[in-house]
Amino acid sequence: MSAQLHLNVNILNAGVFGGSWRFPGTDPLASFSIDHYTSIARKAEAAKLDAVFLADTPVLDPQLRHRPGNSFEPTTVLARIAAQTERIGLIGTLSSSYNDPAELGRRLGDLDLLSGGRFGWNVVTTAGPVAAANFGRLGEPEHALRYRRAAEMVEQVVATWDERADSPQGRPVVVQAGGSTDGKRLASRVGEVIFSAEQDLAKAVAFRTELRAGAREWGRSPEELVVLPGVSTVLGSTEAEARERREVLDDVLPQAYARQRLAGQLGFSLEGLDDDASIPAELLHDPDRVGGTTQTFYRIVRDIIECENPTLRQLLRKLGGGGGHRIVVGTPEQVADDLETWFRQGAADGFNVMPDVLPSGFDEFVDHLVPELQRRGLFRTEYTGTTLREHLGLGLPGVPSGVWDRSPLEAAR
Amino acid sequence: MSTQTIPVLVEVAVGGGALTVAEADRVAEAAQEAGVTALRLLDTLGERSTVEATLAAAYLAGRHDRLGFLADASTTRNAPYNLARRVLSVDRAAAGRLGLLLHPGSGDEVSDATTPDTTATVAGERWSEYAGLLARLWESFPREALLGDAERALLVDDALIAAVGHEGRYYRVAGPLDGPTSLQGRPVVAADARELGWDELATGADVVVVDADRADGAAALSAALERVGRRRSDVALLGRIPVAATEGAGRLLDRLAGHDLDGLVLVPPGGADGALAVIRHLVPQLSPSPAEPTLRAGLGLTPVAARLTEAVA
Repeated sequence: MSAQLHLNVNILNAGVFGGSWRFPGTDPLASFSIDHYTSIARKAEAAKLDAVFLADTPVLDPQLRHRPGNSFEPTTVLARIAAQTERIGLIGTLSSSYNDPAELGRRLGDLDLLSGGRFGWNVVTTAGPVAAANFGRLGEPEHALRYRRAAEMVEQVVATWDERADSPQGRPVVVQAGGSTDGKRLASRVGEVIFSAEQDLAKAVAFRTELRAGAREWGRSPEELVVLPGVSTVLGSTEAEARERREVLDDVLPQAYARQRLAGQLGFSLEGLDDDASIPAELLHDPDRVGGTTQTFYRIVRDIIECENPTLRQLLRKLGGGGGHRIVVGTPEQVADDLETWFRQGAADGFNVMPDVLPSGFDEFVDHLVPELQRRGLFRTEYTGTTLREHLGLGLPGVPSGVWDRSPLEAAR
Repeated sequence: MSTQTIPVLVEVAVGGGALTVAEADRVAEAAQEAGVTALRLLDTLGERSTVEATLAAAYLAGRHDRLGFLADASTTRNAPYNLARRVLSVDRAAAGRLGLLLHPGSGDEVSDATTPDTTATVAGERWSEYAGLLARLWESFPREALLGDAERALLVDDALIAAVGHEGRYYRVAGPLDGPTSLQGRPVVAADARELGWDELATGADVVVVDADRADGAAALSAALERVGRRRSDVALLGRIPVAATEGAGRLLDRLAGHDLDGLVLVPPGGADGALAVIRHLVPQLSPSPAEPTLRAGLGLTPVAARLTEAVA
């Protein structure tokens, strides 16, 4: 583990909470303007963060009535950010299921060139029938098949990058998320930055340990992996102020949205369930057998239900309409203590930060939390390199090949 | 010298042995200063691949906010939903200053797997379906739907947003698109007259690029527009013409008037120096109309040509 941790900011439109766009003092429509993204990226660069991160699904979010979704295509946003910044890394999410491999490899290599070697590709397989329908499909491809295609595609795309030889960082960084069995296998084989969504310190240590062991089995050094759990931050200058901010976020959460979102994550309707009773255990399934949803977040929510047995009302409040990532509430010192513990205990090489509200929550983060981490020697005060690979302390690994046994894929064609 | 302003585009490529990124930035700066309507950004240079043109446009638009861009892309390897998103994203970021020069080609790996009619393989037909589909996707989420009503917890009026439910011979796309309409209504669609028939051009394009030496383009376009029920003012006819670094405006203005063209696409000699010389010395003599307030306006097109959608749908 390096002596310093890595920090990305996930510019998740208005913020990670379902009610972020309604938080007092927030322009509800700001995330539909490109300046929202470029100004946060410039602040992230001034604070010496490793990278900005853009999540993406190629759909109009069916929940848009109640909260913003992403409304810009990530490579075009990152190209614009590249034009207005010099150092900050640029990580974008692009679907392996819904892009042509040759086109994607070329375009992502071009973005790396435009940005002077600052790009990283977050490989996602894209869950859900809504996205599938934008690409001619009547339903989403089966989970394991999506992951086989992802493995094949990463191999092909990395090979095209390797042929070009015009990247200041050798080639773009491969980023991967996904806590499913298939996702972890792909991450340990080809992932360089791995996002995770663990809630619990012990589980996060186990996840990171498992991935590093998996990488070793593939003949890779564990040092070639940077594991970044997602963390939502709610900051206040006193603990009471931070708690109050968290309360306000609950108050502004559109209830209809929170219920629909949870129903989507669990894969069953909440209709008829009592707000003040716990979720009936017989409704929960084995995560690897869940269809039509993201397995990682199903797992997270199921774990919360199993460990804490909350009432439906308590569960909705705990999730806050967010993705299910861990939420840390407190003063900059308290949150820094938490992040430092996760870092020192081997749960994280750094964090993918999801501020509670954008831009105000990120302003708090860079103005108060980043200086606290710097004071502790946990975070850089100046960039020492110019590329994303340099920021992350990553060398250039060999080009992966034979990533996946092709015979099941061929058989499915 | 002409007293009326005309659309003047300058054709360049970023990468692929043409302009470096830094040179393209200098060319764009000079072009904006000279009042060039748009830089046309090629997507290939002979056999060589350039920097993908929608990304080159996104990058340059992030540094030069009054210049228009016309980015080349093909149906080949681009699923319609993906290209529609990229182009609208850049157009919104550039405040309505992006156009797409859509080349006819083949399909992409994702769409090909579910092509509704596997016997459909005609590039021109595919282009027409694709162009019509882009227009409908670009209009599927009107920006009037944005409410931002925090008090009532209503972010958008989703009754105004409609799926496109497209089911053609080549593509099946549900929609709607994820982003609201841009300032210019929707991005400009251009096409190269060498690659398509006049009826296809007249139905699907806002801008038609012809060889400036060709004398019959305007008459052919007018006749085709009449056949498909659109007005001549709905489409800009631009003459593409290679120019020398030291050339005067005379020959160009002759072509413009003689061949009844609406504007010009200048092809400068190779390298940054050639492009800069043409932009600094020749362009000002042509009274260019800048992309103000939008590319559509700079091209002299009607603000929103909603008839295109109806004609194609």
